[in-house]
Amino acid sequence: MRSKRNVWIIALMLVLSLVAAACGGGDGDDGDTGQNGEAEGDAERGGTLTWESEEFSFTGGFDPVGEYLGEAWGVYTNLLLRNLVSYKHAPDAEGNELIADLATEVPEPSGDGTEYTFTIKDGVMFGPPLSREIVCEDVEYAFRRIATETLVAQYGNYYEGVIEGLEIGKDPGKGGISGITCSGDKEITFTLSEPTGDFLYRLAMPAAAPVPEEVAGCFKRAGEYGRYLVSSSGYMFEGSDQMDASSCDSLEPISGFDPDREQILVRNPDYDQATDDYRENWIDEFHHVINTNTNDLEQRLDTGDNDIVYTPTPQTLRKFVQDPELEDRLHVYSGDRTWYVTMNLNEAPFDDINVRKAVNLVMDKDGLLRAWGGANQGEIATHIIPNSMLNDTLSDYDPYPSENFAGDEEAAKAAMAESKYDTDGDGICDAPECKGILQIGANVPPNTDMLPIVEASLEKIGITLESREVTDAYTPITTVARRVPISIRPGWGKDYPDVYTFAVLFQGNGIACEGNYNYSLVGLTQEKADECGIPLNNPDIPSVDDKIDECYAVSQGPDRITCWGELDQQLMEEVVPWVPYLFANVVYTVSGDVTKFEFDQFSGTGAWSKIAVDPST
Amino acid sequence: MAETLLEVKDLKVHFNTPDGVVKAVDGVSFSVDRGETLGVVGESGSGKSVTCLTALRLVNLETADVSGEVIFKGRDLLKLKNDELRKVRGKELAMVFQDPFACLHPLYRVGDQIVEAIRTHDDCGKDEAAKRGIELLAAVGIPRPAERFEDYPHQYSGGMRQRAMIAMALVHNPDLLIADEPTTALDVTVQAQILELIDKVKQDFNIGVILITHDLGVVSDVAQKVMVMYAGRPVEVGSRDEVFRQPLHPYTWGLLESIPRVDQKGTRLIPIAGAPPSLIRVPTGCPFHPRCPHRFEPCDKEEPELVDRGGGHPDACHLTIEDKKRLWDERESRRAGKVAS
Amino acid sequence: MGRYIARRLMYLVLVLLVITLFTFVIFYVLPPSDAALAAAGKLPTPEILAEVREQFGLNDPVHVRYVNFVRDIALGDEYGWPGFGISFDTRSPVKDEIFSRVGVTLQLAAGAAMIWLVLGIATGIVSALNRRKLVDRLVMGFALFGISAPVFAVGLAALYLFAYRWEISPGTGYFPLSEGFGPWFGHFWLPWVVLALQYAAFYARMVRGNLLDTMGEDYIRTARAKGLSERKVIGKHGLRASLTPIVTIFGLDFSLLLGGAVLTETVFNLPGVGQLIVRSVARSDLPVVVAVTVVAALFVSFMSLVVDILYAYLDPRVRYT
Repeated sequence: MRSKRNVWIIALMLVLSLVAAACGGGDGDDGDTGQNGEAEGDAERGGTLTWESEEFSFTGGFDPVGEYLGEAWGVYTNLLLRNLVSYKHAPDAEGNELIADLATEVPEPSGDGTEYTFTIKDGVMFGPPLSREIVCEDVEYAFRRIATETLVAQYGNYYEGVIEGLEIGKDPGKGGISGITCSGDKEITFTLSEPTGDFLYRLAMPAAAPVPEEVAGCFKRAGEYGRYLVSSSGYMFEGSDQMDASSCDSLEPISGFDPDREQILVRNPDYDQATDDYRENWIDEFHHVINTNTNDLEQRLDTGDNDIVYTPTPQTLRKFVQDPELEDRLHVYSGDRTWYVTMNLNEAPFDDINVRKAVNLVMDKDGLLRAWGGANQGEIATHIIPNSMLNDTLSDYDPYPSENFAGDEEAAKAAMAESKYDTDGDGICDAPECKGILQIGANVPPNTDMLPIVEASLEKIGITLESREVTDAYTPITTVARRVPISIRPGWGKDYPDVYTFAVLFQGNGIACEGNYNYSLVGLTQEKADECGIPLNNPDIPSVDDKIDECYAVSQGPDRITCWGELDQQLMEEVVPWVPYLFANVVYTVSGDVTKFEFDQFSGTGAWSKIAVDPST
Repeated sequence: MAETLLEVKDLKVHFNTPDGVVKAVDGVSFSVDRGETLGVVGESGSGKSVTCLTALRLVNLETADVSGEVIFKGRDLLKLKNDELRKVRGKELAMVFQDPFACLHPLYRVGDQIVEAIRTHDDCGKDEAAKRGIELLAAVGIPRPAERFEDYPHQYSGGMRQRAMIAMALVHNPDLLIADEPTTALDVTVQAQILELIDKVKQDFNIGVILITHDLGVVSDVAQKVMVMYAGRPVEVGSRDEVFRQPLHPYTWGLLESIPRVDQKGTRLIPIAGAPPSLIRVPTGCPFHPRCPHRFEPCDKEEPELVDRGGGHPDACHLTIEDKKRLWDERESRRAGKVAS
Repeated sequence: MGRYIARRLMYLVLVLLVITLFTFVIFYVLPPSDAALAAAGKLPTPEILAEVREQFGLNDPVHVRYVNFVRDIALGDEYGWPGFGISFDTRSPVKDEIFSRVGVTLQLAAGAAMIWLVLGIATGIVSALNRRKLVDRLVMGFALFGISAPVFAVGLAALYLFAYRWEISPGTGYFPLSEGFGPWFGHFWLPWVVLALQYAAFYARMVRGNLLDTMGEDYIRTARAKGLSERKVIGKHGLRASLTPIVTIFGLDFSLLLGGAVLTETVFNLPGVGQLIVRSVARSDLPVVVAVTVVAALFVSFMSLVVDILYAYLDPRVRYT
């Protein structure tokens, strides 16, 4: 009897799923579309999505050329900008896959891998006040802006020297970049100076989205254009139609964007859904609003005044975790980012690889995870690159294992015993270089909770730390001359889904005397040391520049992933610059008005173009 | 026959304080007739001010025990309700105080304060009240009264302020004027003017005056009747002539002797030995006995009553009349003798 | 008096100059961190840093920058008058941000001021007249609470009770009057009360003390001796003297508040100057921090002059030459 009933249930479910697939399907090649205005599951068209946060975290006045944080990117990629190639606005590996957005298809590079040609779709338009079709020159203009020094492109290094003829200086003018050519309005070709396997990813960045010169050309300084942003995607700033673009002098900032208070986005009337296979665009309006009272913005989740809380406080997170009714309003995703302890290879005692290995072995990573708030915050990192970016090929790789990730004191001591700083070989450092080492952390939780954990771990192998909590911890650790030996502060997230965006942290030739992110000084040379005014204490600092160059050239695919995996292992075993401890998650809690939630793996934010709310809000 | 305006019968005012009961006024009786000036004399703490302030209930009597009667024009003021008492204040019974600077509101014009006094008991318009006010200022001898009417108290001199206060007290032709140390804060020359003004007012308006002072000299000029107070009670009461010619209390003698006299230039001032007593722990028997050079056996045991012992006017001292006369003569001649040498 | 005012205005200018100097030194000269670093991107090259410094005006020598700074404030810059430059954070003209926010802070302060004046003075008077009785003790106890309780704690507690629990208040946020009286008032009444509480407590104590002192003055006795009703004695003679110092204090309190009710605005999410300064300090947005400091200093200096002049009218014994 039971088995018969099971059979009926299975049959019923099969039928239902077939029906669902039939109803939900559109032109797309996968089943997550519903753009014809139909309901999908609970999702209905309409309503306002409200997202309150304490601040906007914009880094460049919302000019795409100047933004490098997820908050801005999520809005760009889902709502405001279309690139030649983009993403599916989905979680995990699927969300890191490239698809054709403005272009008709994702091209393969030509022959030697240095040429990429795209055809721009018909019918994709800039929204009000321009309301005109996007052409090749608009894409070219985006790169001219990256090349314009005064606009301060925040990741211009991904294009300069990569696209032939793109040098950062004055605006090169139409046709001024030799590596970008337009044939007619709809065909664009990029010529690179050398094969660059991840070039397509770089085209998916917001800075590479087409920009109308008639508006943006009026602004010569970094961060100005943001308030006049013209949309190329499904939504626009409210009030865009009121902007008078007849001349540079007549331009006024769009009313829907007050950089101090709110961003209000409404539907772009010039947007043609038929040209877009991946954005569902359920919501009518998107309100991103500043609320300086953290407690309040979390409370307003209950009333529905606020629909989205990004990274809730531990109390709120606990509430959601413990209440089964709230379970489906809690969304946790891998964030493609690593939190780590950085060690300075040029400063004792970290100039000795045995010490660095011992530190990796003894660190109480579980304690650090708990300081962050427990299991929901991520998975313990056993190597440098997040597993999701290596397609899980290294998910079992743990060169410094310990029980429950709490640290292996014995193994650590064994490693320390090999070090020159352990003069009597008992596994506990006794040289004076191990005493009173400066550790820098931020002065807010969880850093304040983590500093003592690091201290306690290192004390087991005889290293005593002097911890200092600093308001702006990034300044001392990014200034080479400050010679900070060890810090718990750093974290790093991808810029785009290729490991190269992590590899830059280890390039010796990328060390900058100020604003440096290769804190460990991997690949430091005498010249660079002289330039930054520090002594080269450790002449044997290893470099991985060659390996990075090797992987850089490999074209996209499993081989490239394998190469990067080798780099990760090489770093963890032969260089040991860090103690990575957490592949941090992204946590969202949403209100009851959200009928469908989706995560955008690329931006690490909600996939606003796929999220639906109750239309009556 | 003189009309008795005010009759105080055995007034006692005891304040209950955390340190004990302060017997500020301990059995005071006196009367004032129309056309008469009563001088109430005593040191600080003798109870002279409290007596009169109590009559108008201008002291905070919440923590006090008050007994006795204060009969003003036939009514006991102590028993009047607040509204009724207010009708008496400023209208039938007026008071001027010691420090005219502190007694006038610093933020209102003098004229406005006088007008206020007028309109409290009189339903007339502001202009008419102002006119009356200016007339009164003239009457008390303030030059250019119309201009001074618009001034603030700090723009007046001390003497002028006191004149203004007197003017303000007189707006409703009160029957009795109490002047509490009106000249103490003023220069000697101005003192004389103010006293003269008070006397003139008394005559012109035919009112009664109580003049409270610590200075016997002041009293000698203008008072018809004198009451000497010590430790909250009267020790000698009589007409001015009686008290000055034949003082019957050692305290009065001391007061008289301590007045500097023009005809005794070069002599040292003779103070009264000792200090005024604590009103919480009043000495037993005669309160003056610790300071009295003539004290004898009954003085610390029995409180002397205020009676006429044959001297012509009441006194509160155990000494016999004969002793009193003798001792006073001795003291007088000793003083005269000092002049001679 | 005219000469006095003229002199004070001159001092005012001098004070503002000194304030601009101190502000400039504190925020632009002293800090060890580089203001340009935050805006220079994820991987700043030396060229990027140089460009950012150029645009932020950080390249010129200090004294040149100071002179430009003062000149811009006095004469205006390309964005208008006063010339506070551009925010490092939002890249919008600072002047616009401040002007729009001052309006909100002004509404917050004015509403709270009316409440605290009425409440504080009334309770202070009641307390003074019922000295040592139960009413007095209750009021003073409440005043002690009002003074001691930190504004943000009171604000959060008030939000919890009135907005979340009992739903009497619509909660945080700002609605301009142009969008309707209901929303405007609904969102303001709770922050008004919360902000007013602290001041009301202080003013109650002050009024009580002043009135008690005044009631012991001789001229009060004179007023009674004239036969005035007790109401007039207290109301006309007593209050007049005890309230004049309140005017001075109020003027200064209010002008300080115009520099931003930092905690109240943050808790109630009101876009005023206080919220602005919190954001700009946290993000090292120096032009905004400096501009708000100068503006706040201007308010206070100017108000202190106004208050002094007002005092001369209120107290005729005070005379300026």
